[in-house]
Amino acid sequence: MERSYQITITVAVLFALTALAVAQNKKEYRFNVGAKATISIINQYGAVTVRPSTGNYVLVNATTYSDKVEVDQTQSGNRIDVQSHLFDGATPENSRVDYEVQVPADASVTLRSTTGPLRAEKLHGDVEMEGSTATVEVRDISDSHVHVKTMNGPVTLNNIRDGHVEIDSVSGDVSLISVSGPLVRVSSTSGTIRYDGDFGYAGEYRFNSHSGDIDATIPADASVDVKAQSVKGKVQDDVPMQPKTHTSFLAREGSSFAGTINKAASSVWLRTFSGKIHLKKRQ
Amino acid sequence: MTCAEFQRELPDFLEEGGASELRAHLKVCPICSGLVASLQSIVNEARFLQDSAEPSPRVWNSIEIALRREGLIRQPQPQVHRSLFPFLTRRWGYAAWLAPVAALLLVGSAFFLYQRPGKNHKIADNSRVQMMSAMPSLGASDSDEQLLQEVSARAPMMRTAYENNLRDVNAYIRDAQDSVNANPNDEEAQQALMDAYGQKSMIYEMALDRSLQ
Repeated sequence: MERSYQITITVAVLFALTALAVAQNKKEYRFNVGAKATISIINQYGAVTVRPSTGNYVLVNATTYSDKVEVDQTQSGNRIDVQSHLFDGATPENSRVDYEVQVPADASVTLRSTTGPLRAEKLHGDVEMEGSTATVEVRDISDSHVHVKTMNGPVTLNNIRDGHVEIDSVSGDVSLISVSGPLVRVSSTSGTIRYDGDFGYAGEYRFNSHSGDIDATIPADASVDVKAQSVKGKVQDDVPMQPKTHTSFLAREGSSFAGTINKAASSVWLRTFSGKIHLKKRQ
Repeated sequence: MTCAEFQRELPDFLEEGGASELRAHLKVCPICSGLVASLQSIVNEARFLQDSAEPSPRVWNSIEIALRREGLIRQPQPQVHRSLFPFLTRRWGYAAWLAPVAALLLVGSAFFLYQRPGKNHKIADNSRVQMMSAMPSLGASDSDEQLLQEVSARAPMMRTAYENNLRDVNAYIRDAQDSVNANPNDEEAQQALMDAYGQKSMIYEMALDRSLQ
């Protein structure tokens, strides 16, 4: 009895895998482009991963899982548009498309997916990503704009140098590791904002939240002019700093602090309504 | 007449007043009458903006660029059917009303973003505070409910996420608004209110993208 049950399960699994393999359809699209190309990938459901190519070309590998969706692609000079085209009867399950994309490192990319995940790495062109529930990961980017919008998808940025970084997430947690540049702005409603880095030199860093906590971890040699205020929550700073006597807000013990560390090269503004703010020194 | 049918005819109604059937529906339907009131508030607030503190051409250019990028406006095409928002009705059907609401949030955010203290600092501050005070009254709850209905119809599994996020953002707007009311000249409080509206605008934009499917 038990043996026949196992056989039934095995047959069912094999049948499901076979059906998946039959439904799965991989296509490759290749485009030759010049310097500073613009690539847009709009995908309602499914992953988009972008990596640098080894030449002046864009290579798109798209995997579909049903006939309810197809991949539309156009090239107009140096601009490539790729979009998942859903047909009648499409659902989030059957209209998923997974994209693996290679682009020249200097290309600007725009990625959109409701569910994601969205990933980009090792580029130095502008990166714009948007996804309501999508997980977003961006790493090893330099000298570019990085703009990310999510509703509740978590956002992780790692090793972004000289970036113009703007992150908007309503409830997704935002994690910035070794992120620096002339402007780094994070706006959140209820997500947690975490920063681990040195705040660079001569940059402006603004982290705003409504109810989410803000944690910043900095090394002892960080050079910042920092202001922090929680309107209804608590603030905590474990970093020795030169306190400021004049601030633009009414300083209250336990709910705000302001001071400078070393030469105060970068400006850091941490603000939340009811979340907690914690500035700590890296161990 | 159903709400969906009414909202399909909404652009014509706003432009020309609409047929008696539309007006009859408006009398008995609190949702649609709330929606029309919201849109009329948008028109009124837009006039107020123009009268009180005309933003620089850069603001309008930025808004136009943003709307074009979002596909909300295009080059004019010859149309047999005249409508103030033909592209909206063609593209989104009865969800077309979402676009002006999102656009208002965008305009509001841009207005705050690009206003800089200068000679007319006091005027600018006052107009900001008045504008900020007006924005939550723009049918937020009705519009949100309509948005949620739209999301439910197109992607039921997303409704809870949108509902929770809208609730959080509305709480953010209320708190930020309270701060501005308490300290009208506090730049940081104004910035927080702008951020809060920016977050709400983002939710609407994402719902609009979803409705394109």
